[in-house]
Order: sequence, then structure tokens, then C-alpha cells
Amino acid sequence: MNKEIEALIQSFYAHDYILDEALATSVFLLQNLEKPILLEGNPGVGKTMVAKTLASHLQTDLIRLQCYEGLDVNTTIYEWNYQKQLLHIKLFEQEKDRKKLGDQIFGMDYILKRPLLQSISAKKPAVLLIDEIDRADEEFEAYLLELLSDFQISIPELGTIKAVSKPLVILTSNRTRELSDALRRRCLYHWVDFPSKEKEIDIIHKKIPDIDEELARQVVTFIHNLRKSSLHKPPGIAESLDWAKTLVLLNAKNITDEMVKNTVGSVLKHQDDINFVRNKTVQEFLNPVE
Amino acid sequence: MVAVDKTFKERLLDFTFHCRERQFVVSPQQTEEAFEISRKGYLLDRKMFQYSLKAIYCKRKEQFDRFDELFDRFWSRYYEEKLEPRKFRSKPKAQKPEAASIIFLGAKFPKPQQEKKEEAKQTKGANATTRLRYTDFSKIEVADKEQLEELAEALFHQMSMRFKRRLENANRGSIAIQRTIRNSLSKGGWMLDLAHKRKRKEKRKIVFLLDVSGSMDTYSFYLLKYILVLKKYFKSLEFFTFSTHLTHITPMLRHNNEAEILKQIGSGVSSWSSGTKIGSSLGTFLAEYGNKFLSQKHIVVVLSDGLETGNVTELREAVRTIRRKCKTLVWLNPLKGMKDYQPIQKGMVNVMPHLDAFESAHNLDSLLKLEKLLMDV
Repeated sequence: MNKEIEALIQSFYAHDYILDEALATSVFLLQNLEKPILLEGNPGVGKTMVAKTLASHLQTDLIRLQCYEGLDVNTTIYEWNYQKQLLHIKLFEQEKDRKKLGDQIFGMDYILKRPLLQSISAKKPAVLLIDEIDRADEEFEAYLLELLSDFQISIPELGTIKAVSKPLVILTSNRTRELSDALRRRCLYHWVDFPSKEKEIDIIHKKIPDIDEELARQVVTFIHNLRKSSLHKPPGIAESLDWAKTLVLLNAKNITDEMVKNTVGSVLKHQDDINFVRNKTVQEFLNPVE
Repeated sequence: MVAVDKTFKERLLDFTFHCRERQFVVSPQQTEEAFEISRKGYLLDRKMFQYSLKAIYCKRKEQFDRFDELFDRFWSRYYEEKLEPRKFRSKPKAQKPEAASIIFLGAKFPKPQQEKKEEAKQTKGANATTRLRYTDFSKIEVADKEQLEELAEALFHQMSMRFKRRLENANRGSIAIQRTIRNSLSKGGWMLDLAHKRKRKEKRKIVFLLDVSGSMDTYSFYLLKYILVLKKYFKSLEFFTFSTHLTHITPMLRHNNEAEILKQIGSGVSSWSSGTKIGSSLGTFLAEYGNKFLSQKHIVVVLSDGLETGNVTELREAVRTIRRKCKTLVWLNPLKGMKDYQPIQKGMVNVMPHLDAFESAHNLDSLLKLEKLLMDV
């Protein structure tokens, strides 16, 4: 394995994130090609954690933009500080040079920086996490294109603002809708899948060192078998960890029917899914995963 | 930096073209990035080179899943002979299992046969893409199946983007006075920003009734794929399959994963590839779901060849009632794609007077033409 990739995997491991070689290569390219990366995958597979861990690994700021429907320029890039502008106008009402007054109130001092502008203004390259981009509108994707390809933002009154330092941009998507080709073209791509059984056991041991080895194995086997069933929402790694923590708190040594009935709420979030599990025996989910 | 020899450059370019032929959208800039990582010496580490190209060339999960196999097939020999001459011994190539027949949700694809190639090659001088676009689904050969799937995926995706653009009308509407005044309060009563009303086309409600009897399952499979791409552009989408009896399969569409949906539908629909009782199935639909899913805002699309084996009067009455209760009734009959087809079967004769549109859905091209019908009705 390439030494740089190996070092990256080890550093992430030290920050409690277990990277596989393919994802490590993508993160390595994100740093070296200075291109954003789009991470797609089911909810709960650790996409957001990649950005958080990368920021810790590089000892830099993490700037996070959580997407939602209706997100616009004012909440993501910049907004004029209207109160400050009005105050300035009141103070200089007697100013006869209107052009000068205009220049004064439309300067960088009167701008409220939102996450995207913050990320390109930072002196040290920050990690910019644009989380769940699939929740935002198509118009917002269009706003992003300029930033993702040229690392600059255009403000009509001020012109183009180029990045002081290029941020490391990570976009995540749960694929609830199809993203545009224009956006995809500007990004590296990685599909983050559910981890293998061994990797998930490692993750649980890493995050919950007190857990009994047999219990960790049972939790992962159970969860992997659950993921194979047709559930509304298959459990992610976060749910595995929550469940493992719950079982450790309850001093459980093995998973029993009773235990599942009482704690399944930390793994499954739909009533239909919960009923599905409650109607089966534990043994059905503890058969070895193929 | 590593000097990249001419053979390698050509090989990498060939690989780029190879990917493009398989519906990967690789731009010149991405090719340049691939060269850049080669120059940095990453090509010497096969895994790293593979993962790097994967991150650069893939843009969606379907490509991501196929890439490793594509890479191995293309680069194995080169790595064994040029870059790792001693490390590897040439391995016997894995024999591709002979595809006797591939069964998708009951849809059987025939073995390549000389006589069946005739129709597919009717379009003289056309390339493979054009040929596949116009080939009847029931006549697709095993060898072409994979390519057709890729083409369908790409074309449906393009169509999906067109749908989205039409729905998301970017034009601003008239000024919203109330919102403008409300916004101005935070700015000392100064109306600095004018708020506009948004013009949005209303999403439609649609009900699909798919015939999955033996004669129709191949067509239903592709229509299903088509609908899965479009499902998010409808306000409500209800989905039923029928042959001898009706099955409501909308709950199976909750997944985001298309393969999982198709798998579930395949296992959930017990009547797949059996006989056809259209009238009785539509009657069940009216009785059990009619009040819920039929209104003057609903479009109803029926995919069936109209070869009724049950009571024709029952079929006529059911279709007449559905037409009365919905906004538009569209009938898709793949047989219409056949040359000289006339709707003279008993079933179709009884149904025709009540339809708003009668279209074929026998190949990719005819499916793509439905786009206009579904958007404009």
C-alpha cells in the first residue's frame, strides 16, 4: 500500500475512524487534486464523520452547512448587514457625496459571512462540509457550481471574491433525490457502503472499548442480518453503536429475546420494523452472515 | 514525478473511451486529472491507481459498482505484462457463465439467435445505441441486455432532469405584497427586497396499472424502471400489478434503492407471468381503491396488451367507470409497436372508445415519448 495512504489510514484510526483503502485514496485525492468530493450512501454509514475526522486530522476548522429545502444565498453565502448599513446612512445623512456613501455601505465590512463565504475567507484551508445536499433545491446546487469549480464567489455589488485558501469540500448525499450532472462532474465520487462484519466489530471495539468481544460479535451479526431484511430504514453504524452502548449499560453478556424487545428502539426507528423484529426470535438474527 | 510512456498514455486514453462507451461521462478535465495522478507515480500501485480512477471517473453508485470489474478487465493484462512482470503469473481468465436465459422478475431474455437479429438490425447504418433504442424489449438478446440497461439508465436520467427543470419553473411570479411588507419590518420599514410569488407547476397524481401476465412481463419490467426514475416528480404515485388478480405494490416503492425495489416487487407479486383477467382486476381496483385513488386530479395509465381471457363486458364497464372518475386515461399497448397492428381483439375493441390516449411502450424510444404525455395532460 502507498505510504501516504497508509499514514492517512493510521491517522484516521487514531481519531477513531476506520478508513478502508478505497475511501482513503479518495480523501487523499481530495487533498491533492484540490477537488471537492461527493460521498453518497445510506444514512448512518459515516459520511459526515469523514469530514469531522479530516478536520481533526488536519487540525483545521470544520465549517458545516446543513442543507434543507429553501436554502438560499442569504443563509449560505452572505447577507448584507442591513441594520449596520441603515445606521451608517443615518450617521452620514449630511454626506453630500452619494457615491462615496454608497461605496462605504457596500463594502466587506457590511457583509455577514455565511458558511460558504467563511470557508473561502479562512487563512488556513478549512474543511467545508455541505451535508445532505440532496435535501436542498436545484437552485442551490447551481449556486454551488462556481464555488466547487473555481473556489470563488460572485457578489453583484462587490465583484468576484477569490478564495484566500482553498477549502477541502466534502458533500454528502443520502440519495433521496438525483443530483445534477453539473454538480457531479465537479466532484470526485465515493459510494460509502455499510462496513463488512469485521470492520464493524473493529469500529464498535474502537468506540466502546469496554464491550465484551462475544457481545460485539452478536450485535454486528444481528445488525447485518437486519440489514438483509426488507426494513423501512436499515440500521446504520450509528445505530449499531447506540445499541452496543445500551447493552453495555445494561450489563448484558448475550443478546436475548427479552433484551431485544426492550432495547430495539435504539436500532429501529419505524413501528413496522420494530414489530417485524419483535415477531421473530433472536436466534433467527444470530445465524452467521453469509 | 514519473515519466509516463507513450504506450501508457494511449492505454489510459483507450480506457477513457472504453468508459465513455459504457455511459460513464468522463470529461477532458477528468482525463487530465487521471494523467496527473499517473505522472505523480500512483500508477505503479495498482490498487491506488484503480481507486483514484474510480473516484475521478464514477459519478453515481451504479457506475461505482461496475467500475472495478471494468478496470480489472481492461488493465489486468497491462499490469501483468508491463508494470508487474514478475509479480504476477498470467491467470486463466474467469469464464463468464453462459447466459442461457436471464430472468428478471419473470422476464426471460432469449438466447442470441441469428434469425432474431433481423429486426434489431433493420436500422441501416445506425450505431448500437440507436439500434437498441428502437428494438422491441421482447426481442432483446442476452448479449445486448447489459448495454440496453445502461442506455435506459442514461436516457431515463436525462429525461428525469428535463422533468425537474419543467417543474421547477425558475421564472419569478408577481410581487408578493404581504411578504415584502413583512420583510421590510426588519429593515426599519424600508422595502429593500421585493418578495416574489413562486410559480410552480403542480405535481400530478398518477396511478399505474401494470399487466404482468406472461405476454407482458418484459415490457412491465422496463416500464417499472421508467416509473421508478419518475416517482419523485408526481405528487402521489400509486402502483398496481395485475394478471389474474390485483396487487398493490406502492409500499414496496419506499426504498431508494432501485435494485431492491425490483427485487421486492419480483418476490412480492405472486401472479407474475401468469394469465390475464384484466376486467376482473380493474373491477377489484375500482371496488377496493377507487374512492381513494381516483379523482379529477388523477392520471391513470394502464399497460396491457388487452388480450382478455375473462369477461369482456366486465372489462368495458370497469374502463368506462375509471375514465369517468379520473382526469385522463392512458392505455399503453406494446403490440401497437408492431407493424400493421390494429386494435381488433375483443378486449381492445371494447376499451378503445373510453381512452384519452393509446400509445405503445414497446421500446426505449416509445417510453421516452411518454414524457410529453405525462407532463402535458
